[in-house]
Amino acid sequence: MRGGLGKKQGSPHMVTGNWNRIGLFLFCLVVLVALGADLLAPHDPWQRFEPYQSPSRDHLLGTNDIGNDILSELIHGTRVSLVVGFGAALLATFLGLVIGLVSGYSRGVVDEMLMGLTDIFLMIPRIPLIIILAAFLKPSFWMIGLALGLLWWTTTARVVRAKTLQIREMSFVESSKCLGFRNAHIIFSDVLPNIIHVVIPKFMITVATAMISEASLSFLGLGDPTLKSWGMMINFAFVKGGFINQMWWWYLPPGICIAGVVLTIVWLGFGYEQREERIMGRV
Amino acid sequence: MSPLQKKAIRYLIALLIIFSLNFLIPRIMPGDPITNLLGENFIVTESTLQALKSRLGLDKSLFDQFLDYWKNILRLDLGYSYLFNQKVLTILIARIKWTLLLLIPSILIGAVVGTFLGALSGWRKNNVPNKLTTALFLSLYSTPPYFLGILCLFLFSFKLALFPLKGFYGTGGLGDILLHLSLPILVMSAFAASRNYLIMRGGVIQERGKLYVLYARAKGLYGDRILLRHVSKNASLPVITLIALDFGFLLSGALFVEIVFSLNGMGTLIYDALLSRDYPVLQGALLVITLMVVAANFLVDIIYRLLDPRVEEK
Repeated sequence: MRGGLGKKQGSPHMVTGNWNRIGLFLFCLVVLVALGADLLAPHDPWQRFEPYQSPSRDHLLGTNDIGNDILSELIHGTRVSLVVGFGAALLATFLGLVIGLVSGYSRGVVDEMLMGLTDIFLMIPRIPLIIILAAFLKPSFWMIGLALGLLWWTTTARVVRAKTLQIREMSFVESSKCLGFRNAHIIFSDVLPNIIHVVIPKFMITVATAMISEASLSFLGLGDPTLKSWGMMINFAFVKGGFINQMWWWYLPPGICIAGVVLTIVWLGFGYEQREERIMGRV
Repeated sequence: MSPLQKKAIRYLIALLIIFSLNFLIPRIMPGDPITNLLGENFIVTESTLQALKSRLGLDKSLFDQFLDYWKNILRLDLGYSYLFNQKVLTILIARIKWTLLLLIPSILIGAVVGTFLGALSGWRKNNVPNKLTTALFLSLYSTPPYFLGILCLFLFSFKLALFPLKGFYGTGGLGDILLHLSLPILVMSAFAASRNYLIMRGGVIQERGKLYVLYARAKGLYGDRILLRHVSKNASLPVITLIALDFGFLLSGALFVEIVFSLNGMGTLIYDALLSRDYPVLQGALLVITLMVVAANFLVDIIYRLLDPRVEEK
């Protein structure tokens, strides 16, 4: 009976395990493409050829309105998406972690204030606000990453706070308190290691959201004009006639890349969460 | 103070802060404040410039300007657009109904389809069709809604010629509006459903192991009836919260979908205003969107309390 149960639990685990490995492999591939963009891209993405070319042997995905090689643009776009996505998510997760930990651990007035702040930030229509900021300022890579990071910490803070409230009541935290450790020490060495497993999937989701947001803002033409990003490629295809003239090799690949990379990241987060749940469930 | 009142106060503070931010943005941004306030669509002489300056109150102190700003908002005066030659509020009211016409059916369809399929997926065995459905919804979740729109236009309008390419109406009849709206609504519903699906699925998986489910089985209920009668009630509560929190996100998504389908709502308005840097329209749009997001959240809070009286006791 026992063996049977074990087997039952074992087999779906194996399947998810393989899927996770595929996800991890794909993600590493994307990172490699971003790192080696200069080597992989067949041309310099800023070099000009004859514009509006259809796919050919020399330009596998044709050229755009000013004659840049679309495949090279696509490969270089990986960098922008990944850096904005991970940069913004790191900032957002850090803020969410600090606010959630402090709020859940200290409770009382501090908690009320911080959660009030979180509620207020949750109400801000983030994309429209960034659109307006970008309209006034010159849109740049830094501004978009920073704005996304500063606005996207709210749900992480909520999750971290809920988990911290649970953990601070557990007996090992109590014993640390009795032993006289400082609060900062308890937060870092007792509470933090026990919430990291909820923060990682949340982090992955934030990366995904930040990448989608960056692509959306670039689609409005608010991307950094000195960089090549996937959203901007779709924007140019849309504005400069690639869409109406059905040049699908121009606007479909960048969209598929955004969706594909985001899917890989969401998939990794999802798989991690399920694995953690299964481990917790067994214990 | 009841929790609902407390929430209401928080929402009011949120509104105050965002509205005040809206006041500050054009005044602290680099560039000429007159251009920042009126947009870049007018050319005037030096004397009219001075007259405009005093009419806009730019010669007053910042605090007086702030008071004037609030007076204007309370008088429902959101400024004048030199691009459209109309009051901002008039433009916004004309456009907003089309956005809501796209957004509200999508949220409802997305909620029903997403929770239903998500519940079934969490409840049933994790077999191949179930996994494929989850993979499909994960992919929808990962795709920016505007690209989903482009993809659908490519497939259904270009390749299959089933739907019209753009706009809300050709002749203006009801059937015609429906035909033009069906594809954008399909896109937005799929996007909304994917988010609800994943949450509902997780909720049902968690609830499935609880004791009341075992009890329901012991008293003789069969599989899907336990799901429908007992589990779905508990598992759908997080979905209701999600719908409220997602409202702003889906609204932003709808703005982008409008641009792709050339629908004449808030999204295309913001896009046009953005291209010609018509700041009053952009700012008015931000205010109206904020108001809608806060109102939607408050509404969901009330509904939540009606559905789950336990919240009141906490």
